[in-house]
Amino acid sequence: MFNFSNLVQKAQQLIIEPTLSVAGPTSDRRPSKATLFRHQFRLPDSQSPLQEITAELTLSPHHSQRSASGEVGSPEKERTQGNHYVGKLHLSEQFLCFSTHGSSFISTASLSSSSSFTGQTHGAGPAGNGFTLPLCAIRRVERLHSQSYMFALAITTWNGSADGKRKNVAPSGQKLTIQLAGSRIQCERFCDGLKKGLRAGVKEIENLRSVVSECYSEYLLAEDEEKSEGGEQGKTAREHPDTGLGLVFKYPGNARKLRDATKIRLWREYLRENGRNATLIRQPTFHKLIRVGLPNRLRGEIWELTSGSFFLRLQNPKLYTETLARFSGRESLAIDEIEKDLNRSLPEYPGFQSEEGIGRLRRVLTAYSWTNEEVGYCQAMNIVVAALLIYMSESQAFFLLSVLCDRLLPGYYSTTMYGTLLDQKVFESLVEKTMPILWDHLQKHDVQLSVVSLPWFLSLYINSMPLIFAFRVLDVFFLEGPKVLFQIGLAILRINGEELLDATDDGTFISVLKSYFARLDESAHPKSENPKLRAVTRFQELMVVAFKEFAGITQNTISEQRAKHKDAVLANIENFTKRTSIRNLGPESKRLSPNDLGFLYDRFYAILYERQQRAEIMQQEADRKVKAAKAKAMEVMTGMGGNAVEKGRVGLGPSPTQMDYDGFREFLAGIAKWAVTDSPTSPPEASGEKAGHSYFGNSMRSRPPMSPWGTGPEPADHEFMRRLFRRWDTDMTNSLNLQNVVTGFAQVKGTKDIMSNISYFFELYDDDGDGRVDREGILRISEALLFLSRRGMGEYSPSHSTVDLQQGGSPERHSNRDEQFLSSISAFIRRCFEYADPDHPSNQHQPLSDTVENPDDNFAIGTDDEDDLIDLKSEPTTPVPQKPSSPKDHIKHPLSPIPSNTDPLSSTSTPTSPDPNLPARTEKAKAANKALDPNKPLYITLPTFRMVILADEILEQFFELGFSSSFRLADAPLPSSASSSSNLTTFANAGNKSATTGLGIGGSVGGANAGIVPPGKGLRGMLDNIVSDGMRVAAEVRRRMEEAQREMDREARHGREEEDEEDEGASGAKDADLLEGAETEDVEVERGSAPDLLGVGEGSGMGAGVEARRNRSASDASRKVVEFER
Amino acid sequence: MADSGATQPKPSSSVKLVLLGEAAVGKSSLVMRFVNNDFQENKEPTIGAAFLTQKCTLPSRTIKFEIWDTAGQERFASLAPMYYRNAQAALVVYDITKSSSLTKAQHWVAELQRQASPGIVIALVGNKADLANPEGESGEGGGEVEEDVDGVVAGNEEEGEEGSGDARKVPTKTAKAYADEEGLLFFETSAKTGMNVADVFTAIANAIPETSLKGPRGVGGQSSLREGQGDARVNLGRATAEGPKEGCAC
Repeated sequence: MFNFSNLVQKAQQLIIEPTLSVAGPTSDRRPSKATLFRHQFRLPDSQSPLQEITAELTLSPHHSQRSASGEVGSPEKERTQGNHYVGKLHLSEQFLCFSTHGSSFISTASLSSSSSFTGQTHGAGPAGNGFTLPLCAIRRVERLHSQSYMFALAITTWNGSADGKRKNVAPSGQKLTIQLAGSRIQCERFCDGLKKGLRAGVKEIENLRSVVSECYSEYLLAEDEEKSEGGEQGKTAREHPDTGLGLVFKYPGNARKLRDATKIRLWREYLRENGRNATLIRQPTFHKLIRVGLPNRLRGEIWELTSGSFFLRLQNPKLYTETLARFSGRESLAIDEIEKDLNRSLPEYPGFQSEEGIGRLRRVLTAYSWTNEEVGYCQAMNIVVAALLIYMSESQAFFLLSVLCDRLLPGYYSTTMYGTLLDQKVFESLVEKTMPILWDHLQKHDVQLSVVSLPWFLSLYINSMPLIFAFRVLDVFFLEGPKVLFQIGLAILRINGEELLDATDDGTFISVLKSYFARLDESAHPKSENPKLRAVTRFQELMVVAFKEFAGITQNTISEQRAKHKDAVLANIENFTKRTSIRNLGPESKRLSPNDLGFLYDRFYAILYERQQRAEIMQQEADRKVKAAKAKAMEVMTGMGGNAVEKGRVGLGPSPTQMDYDGFREFLAGIAKWAVTDSPTSPPEASGEKAGHSYFGNSMRSRPPMSPWGTGPEPADHEFMRRLFRRWDTDMTNSLNLQNVVTGFAQVKGTKDIMSNISYFFELYDDDGDGRVDREGILRISEALLFLSRRGMGEYSPSHSTVDLQQGGSPERHSNRDEQFLSSISAFIRRCFEYADPDHPSNQHQPLSDTVENPDDNFAIGTDDEDDLIDLKSEPTTPVPQKPSSPKDHIKHPLSPIPSNTDPLSSTSTPTSPDPNLPARTEKAKAANKALDPNKPLYITLPTFRMVILADEILEQFFELGFSSSFRLADAPLPSSASSSSNLTTFANAGNKSATTGLGIGGSVGGANAGIVPPGKGLRGMLDNIVSDGMRVAAEVRRRMEEAQREMDREARHGREEEDEEDEGASGAKDADLLEGAETEDVEVERGSAPDLLGVGEGSGMGAGVEARRNRSASDASRKVVEFER
Repeated sequence: MADSGATQPKPSSSVKLVLLGEAAVGKSSLVMRFVNNDFQENKEPTIGAAFLTQKCTLPSRTIKFEIWDTAGQERFASLAPMYYRNAQAALVVYDITKSSSLTKAQHWVAELQRQASPGIVIALVGNKADLANPEGESGEGGGEVEEDVDGVVAGNEEEGEEGSGDARKVPTKTAKAYADEEGLLFFETSAKTGMNVADVFTAIANAIPETSLKGPRGVGGQSSLREGQGDARVNLGRATAEGPKEGCAC
């Protein structure tokens, strides 16, 4: 009989199935087979399907009561009586499962993804008949020999005998017979697997004992058995297990009206025949008994079994108490939030007006918030848990809550509640599909369906319906899964359809439903002639409509709809989050434009997200390599159709908010070209497919093995970046959050005030905050200035790019500027040392006149930019005449490894012709020299620093504009596409053909810069920049012309330094023998402490790079000292 | 129903009003007081949002408030746009005994100013005024809390505590200054005692520009039952408790 109906069911499934999978989502959206398997049998995440085989389960009447020791009758005889079920038998690490609805996946499906859904529940839960046996609950497996079956196993369970107290009682172990249908090899393999599992299961028996002893079913049946045994053991041996607050404060509803006693009797019979708790077998009656509502005292246990939280508890029975103990006394935000709501969770239930009830609620919510800190606590959890606690113990509720959060209601209670929003969308689309007229009506009158439906889902109808009905919904929900919520919701709307169609505003809509819920216990057909029909309550009607009329709503439907709406919902949440967090960045952020803030936000989280993704993918790759053989699906529990790789996405809940130093480097590399490394360790990837905002593109997955920096340019690692990082890390967490970054940028970019920029820079290097920067600091500043300018200097660096260099030709004016900058920095160092304190007051005078000179020039130039623009055409080439470089120079400076590296300007400014100012200079230098003596500590103060900066027009410009504009935010796109660079180059070359040809610089510098991904620009922005650059360049060049002669004379000596500096910026190796003279040692000593100071300790090539650089600058310093002494 | 429909043929219009604010500041209680003139000590937290209506009769017109009462917990914030969409008025509620709640309220004000419909009337409401000592009002604590307002959370929670058993942490002055600066209506209320509750809604009703009022939605025949009862009950309560407040006969 049952066999037959099963066949019919199976046939039906086969017919229905194709239509379901027609509009299926893409295969990568499909949950994996392992996921489906776990969901189907409600197994913990540690389980995976190891073996499966077609089998027939035979249950003889009263099979559980038959004595295990008795001789088993012949299988043939057994076959003639009892129930037979054909289905699939599965084996996982710790479970043996059987279901007539077999699998929710075809057996050929791979572990990583299931190619098709089959079973009725689509992996939603244990529909069908069968069992989920923990292997430790199996006492014995015998192989029966028979003619008709190759393999028949007789399984004896620990049913009813797992309780240690009753060891002396003859076990009433239950016995099932399973015939395996498969080839001999298949059967052998299955049995081998089973044997292995059973052996491993032996050590779990203690867990089983302790868990089972807390089950009401044991108590219920023991009572029975003891009675029948003559009560010799006495009932005193047993305590009533904790079946929730209801035991003390009464269960909701009228027990008589709910026919609780009858239900208990029926369950007692069922459990006696079909095994209890761990060894329960699902037969059709089981499903029926659940549909009519569970009896109060058994409710908790059955919820636990059907939801699978029982198996979690079985794995770790002490987790709850241990968690509470471990975190006792600790505080958290979640706990504060929990406290707020404790007094307002089901306040109408007497148990929650008592300290006892509130205490339980507090402990369960708190314990869960510790085990899942990402979720913490969400309002509505209080209501759900309060409801659970009426029927279960704290520990049971704790595990059930985690099954709810992790599996049944994925993402519902997360910090963004994306699951809730997603399911609202799914629900709306189902309403639209199944009740188009009602849907149109709602749309027309702008009624928000989710206002009513959101609480239904979020609190599982508990505070929408009267409790007794909500619990009946839960009964089915735990068995059949999330689809039940949708079915009930749709049924509610369907039943009230007529009235709802009359409602034209939210208020009416809500009150219709409210009054419906209030009358759920009334007759659905009060006027019917038929007394039977009259007896049907509205709630019964609701159940019928939900499960009959909306039987087509399966887990598969839900999964598909979720997949369809997921992206839109997440994007919405992310928009909102972005808006909110930008707005809440505080007053500092107002100094940046909204566009810039948006850009920073995107960039910041994109980096964090991508870094996390990369880490995960690389981790996965590593894992794969490690256990390539044993393919264990790597999945993140995001529920059905969850997409592992998307974890960390902002919309999904708590995502990382802290950026470490490496992330910061990557972040900077995207917005400032100086932050891109000169020596990439991995070949730059030409792919520029990353478009502006689509940083959550699923393309992530299909990427080829990646460099640690993804597709972006590899960031540099420079002391300056570390300093910036430390400066911005105001909370001293060794990481930056968005607030830090925005505040940081606001300070750098938000001001156009040169003075504050100078102070800012100074403070960066004023390590101890005493307003002084020592010799070391001065050198570091100059290093930083070189570092920042080595790619040209922000806004007013012509043509904006180093791109040209790669192309083998550099515009003259570009290099020209760079050289000038080098010279400025060299002058900067010199002046710093000259004016450093302690100093001779007598020296103060002359230098001052020096410094006044240059600013004057600047101001004059600043005003006539416009006019100069006209001369643009002729100007760029003007420096060329200055080009003649004396070969002598190269000879004099053996330190420059590549002779061609010398550039026109530094060459011209380093003639060896006698300097008219030389005597004065030397005198001054001598004075300064004392200050330079490493044995005599010196420092500069902010005013000195300021003066020195202002003394140099180029540095002044750098601090006025260059530095802040070297960060390109919203108005300048990310450096991403290489294609736009060619435009730039073309233009630059077009204007400077003549200039570029004669110069060798391009080659050498380009060599150093190879691999830099140039900034991509819109055409518009490019033109704007070119025009403004042109203006500046013109002005600059003209001024330079005038100044050239004077400079030539005056700066004769320092030209050498310039070259040194330039080498440092552009080239690599330096001879160690430069480190000559007594000073070297001192410098070395100083350097010794540097790594600590910097916190380099990277252990990577980067750290070494910094070291080398420092080495060089140290040698420079010492060399300069030597020079001055001469 | 009786007083609005037949006897007073005043122009009637509906106004969508949304309540926003930190968890447990008393949003739902305010609404409950306004709609049912009732107060519950331990009210269940609002899940998602609740919807209620109440009429408010001004000398010149009747206004039917469609009140959207939202959940306060931070993570529910992303649901809020769903509810404040098209709202003409907003009550941003904070708890005068909790300075962090004013910060949160300020965030909401900023959100509304940027994202809600232009011209939305916003009222800043400091609830739980009954917990404040009437004399100790905005005395010593003034200065410190002022700073606190800009972003710092609950910095001086402890300080106010020892002063005269006054639970107030947010001085009226501070909140008022902020409200003035942002052009918000400002009230301190107590849902528990009913203090100022009706006034808030009346003030909002008065502040809604005539032009932005739309007619009542639909025929409105069905929406009667519950409201009608509410109206009658509140009317009685109001008459005795507060006397004839300007206009609002709800």
